[in-house]
Amino acid sequence: MSEITDSNFEKASVRDTAFRVRMRRFFGVLQRLTSNPTTVVGLVLIALMLAMAIFAPWITEANTPDAYQMPRDWGAVRKPPGTPGHWLGTTNEGGDVFYGVIWGSRTSLQLSLYVVGSTMVIGTIIGSVAGLVGGWVDEVLMRIVDVFLSIPELIFALAIAAVLGPSFTNIIIALAMVIWVKYARIMRAQVIQIKQNDYVDAARVIGDSKLNIYLKDILPNAVTPVTVQATLDMGNVVLIGATLSFIGLSEAGIAEWGVLVSEGQAGIASGRWWASTFPGLMIFLWALAFNLVGDGLRDALDPRTEGR
Amino acid sequence: MNSAPKPESATSEVLLSISDVQKYYPIREGALQRVAGHVRAVDGVSFDIRRGETVGLVGESGCGKTTLGRVVSGLTDATGGAVHYNLDGTLSQIDHLQDLQARQFRRNCQMVFQDSFASLNPRHLVLDIVGRPLRVYNEASSGDLVERVVELLEQVGLGRQHLYRYPHQFSGGQRQRISIARALALNPEIIVLDEPTSALDVSVQAQILNLLNDLQAERNLAYLFVTHDLSVVRHMADRLVVMYLGKVCEAGETQSIFAAPHHPYTRALMAAKPDLDDDRAGENVKGLDGIVPDPARPPQGCRFHTRCEMATPVCGWEVDDVVRWLEDEPGMFEHLSGVERQSEFNAELAFDSEEAAAKLSMAIRSESVPAAMKSALKRLKLDGHKVDIEFEAVDEVQLTARDGGRLASCVLDPDEVAAKSQ
Ligand SMILES: Nc1ncnc2c1ncn2[C@@H]1O[C@H](COP(=O)(O)OP(=O)(O)O)[C@@H](O)[C@H]1O
Ligand SMILES: [Mg+2]
Repeated sequence: MSEITDSNFEKASVRDTAFRVRMRRFFGVLQRLTSNPTTVVGLVLIALMLAMAIFAPWITEANTPDAYQMPRDWGAVRKPPGTPGHWLGTTNEGGDVFYGVIWGSRTSLQLSLYVVGSTMVIGTIIGSVAGLVGGWVDEVLMRIVDVFLSIPELIFALAIAAVLGPSFTNIIIALAMVIWVKYARIMRAQVIQIKQNDYVDAARVIGDSKLNIYLKDILPNAVTPVTVQATLDMGNVVLIGATLSFIGLSEAGIAEWGVLVSEGQAGIASGRWWASTFPGLMIFLWALAFNLVGDGLRDALDPRTEGR
Repeated sequence: MNSAPKPESATSEVLLSISDVQKYYPIREGALQRVAGHVRAVDGVSFDIRRGETVGLVGESGCGKTTLGRVVSGLTDATGGAVHYNLDGTLSQIDHLQDLQARQFRRNCQMVFQDSFASLNPRHLVLDIVGRPLRVYNEASSGDLVERVVELLEQVGLGRQHLYRYPHQFSGGQRQRISIARALALNPEIIVLDEPTSALDVSVQAQILNLLNDLQAERNLAYLFVTHDLSVVRHMADRLVVMYLGKVCEAGETQSIFAAPHHPYTRALMAAKPDLDDDRAGENVKGLDGIVPDPARPPQGCRFHTRCEMATPVCGWEVDDVVRWLEDEPGMFEHLSGVERQSEFNAELAFDSEEAAAKLSMAIRSESVPAAMKSALKRLKLDGHKVDIEFEAVDEVQLTARDGGRLASCVLDPDEVAAKSQ
C-alpha cells in the first residue's frame, strides 16, 4: 500500500484536479490491461474486426437493395479461392465468400451489441431490485432465474427461436431472453455484498437518499464483474447465434457467418472447403478475441490489485 | 414496561436517552427458514448521554456494542425500547421523527466505523467523501465546497494536498481521520465511535484519541465511544457502561469504576488489559477465561456466573451448567442420551447406561465441580439410567443503584467483591 510521504505532497500538489486524478486511474487500468500480451492480441483482433464492420461498404461494395443479403453471381458458382473478383471463392449459389466474411462482421456486431446491451440493462435492473428489496420479491425473482439457469443456454435459445420462427431478429430475441438471467444473478450477488459495506452505512448516516446511495455507492462498485461478463458474452453470443443460424433458424441467404458455414458444409465432402472455412474461422476469432479481452479485464479490474 | 434504573443524569442537559433498548436477531433454520430462536444482541439497555460528555461502552466482542451503537445512530431499528434525542429541548423518539426533525437528528448524530477501509467508498476521492454531507444538505455551492472540505481536513490534521486522493492511498490512521472529517462536516452534537482505534497501531491510536479529545473540547461534542479495550477509554470517557451478553452489568463514573469495580466482570476486564499506570498493577487479579455463552440462550440469574471467579450459590446455576460441565468431562458426555427439561432449573438427564448415570451423580459431588454450583443443587436423584437434577430457581439479577450514581448487577456487595479478589 502506498503511503503518502512529504515529497509526494509537493508533486501531487494542488494543481491536481479531480478530473485528472480520475483519468490517471483510468489509464492505470488501461496500462495493466495492455501489459498482458494475450489481452493485446485480443484487443488487436477486436480492433481489426470492428474496422471490418465499420468500413464494410468501402472494403466491398454494398449489395442492393439489401446490403445484408448475399450478392449472387450465378455465372460463378462453386469457384475456388483465387478466382478474379471472388478471391475467397463462391458458394453453391454463387455467393461471394469474401462479401459474406466482411458484411458478416456487421451482422455479428449487431447481434452481440443488441443482445448484450439489452440483457445487461434488464439483468442489472432485475438483479438490483432483488438484491436491494430482498424478501419475497427476491425469492420470486431468483426462482425465475433458477428455472432459466437450469436449462442449457443453447437448448433454451434454440427452443425459443424455433417457437418464434426462423429469422435473424428472432435469434436476437431468443438470446436476449436466455442471457439476461446471468446478469441478474451477478448483479444481485454484488448488490447484496456491497450493501453490507460500512461505506453504505456511512452514506445512510449522513442522510443521503436511497437513490443516491444506489447510484454512487452500490452501482459503481458492482459493475466490474458485469463488465467482464459482458465482454465475454460479446464473443459467446456470436458463437451461439451462429449455431442457431447454422441449423436454419435464420433467414437463408443473409450475410451471416453461421448461415454461410451451413451453406458451405454440403460441399466439404466434395473438396469445396472454402465456403465453410473462412466464415467459420471468423466466428472462432471473434469468440476468441472477446474471451481474451474479458479475461484480461478481469485481472486488470481486480480490486485486490487495483491502484496498489 | 419495567424500565431498568439508569445512571443519574445530574449536572448537564441530556442529549440522548436510551431506554430499555432490545435488539433481537431471528435465527432461521431449515429449508423453510423457520425462526428457531433469537440472538439477543442487546437485551434491555438503558443509559443517557449528556451534551459534551464521553460515554465509554465496553465489553468483550460479541456482547452487542456495535448493535447498540447502530440503534443509537438510527442505522438499525430496535426490537424493543426506544432511543430519544434532544431536539430543541424536548426528548423525541428517533424512529418517530417527521421530515424536518428527522433531518435535524440525522445531521446531529454521526458515526465513525471500526474498519477505516470499508467505511470509505474506494471509488470516491477524499473531496467527494468529506464533501458529500455538505452536498446532501446543500450546505456548500460547488465553488465553496473545496474550501469547506479543506477546512475540515485541516481540523483533523490533513490538508489541501489530500483532496484528490483515493482512500487506498492513505494509511489506516489517515483514513480514520478522513472518516472523522466526514462525521464533523455537518457540525453534529454527538458522534458514535465504533472501535475507532482498534485496528490501528498503538502510537497511531494515541494520535487519534488526542485528536478526538481536541475536537470535543473545541466543539462541545458528545461521544458514545464503543470499545472492547478498557484502557482506551480510561482517559477518554467521563462515564462507562460495561456490557456483557447484551446487558449492562455495571455503569458509572470512569474514575470510580477504575478505583473500585463493583462487578466481577468489570474487574476481570480491567485485569485482562492492565494499564501501566494502574494503581493495582502489582496485584494478582485473574483475567477472563472460559468461553462466552451463546447469546441466543443467555445464562439464568447473572449472565456472567458461568465464568465468574466469585460465583455464589444464588447466581443462577441451572441445568445448562451441568450440560456445559459434562461437555468438558472425558468419558461422560458421550453417554448422555437426552435432557428432559421441566424448567431451566430442573431436568432429567438420561444416560445410555445405569453405570454412567451413577458415575455422574458421583462426579457432580466431587471436587471438579465449582463449590457454588454444588451448593445450589436442591435435588440430585439417581433413578436407573436417569438422573433428576434440580437447582434453586433464581430471578435474573437486576442492576441496582449504588453510591455515587453507580449501577451494578451483582449479588455481592462491593466490599465482598474487593475482598474476594485479593
Ligand atoms: N445482522 C446480524 N444478524 C444476526 N446476528 C447478529 C447481527 N449482527 C450482530 N449479530 C450478533 O449479535 C451479537 C452482538 O454483536 P455485535 O453487536 O457486533 O457485538 P460487538 O460489537 O460487541 O462485538 C453477536 O452474537 C452477533 O453474532
Ligand atoms: Mg463491534
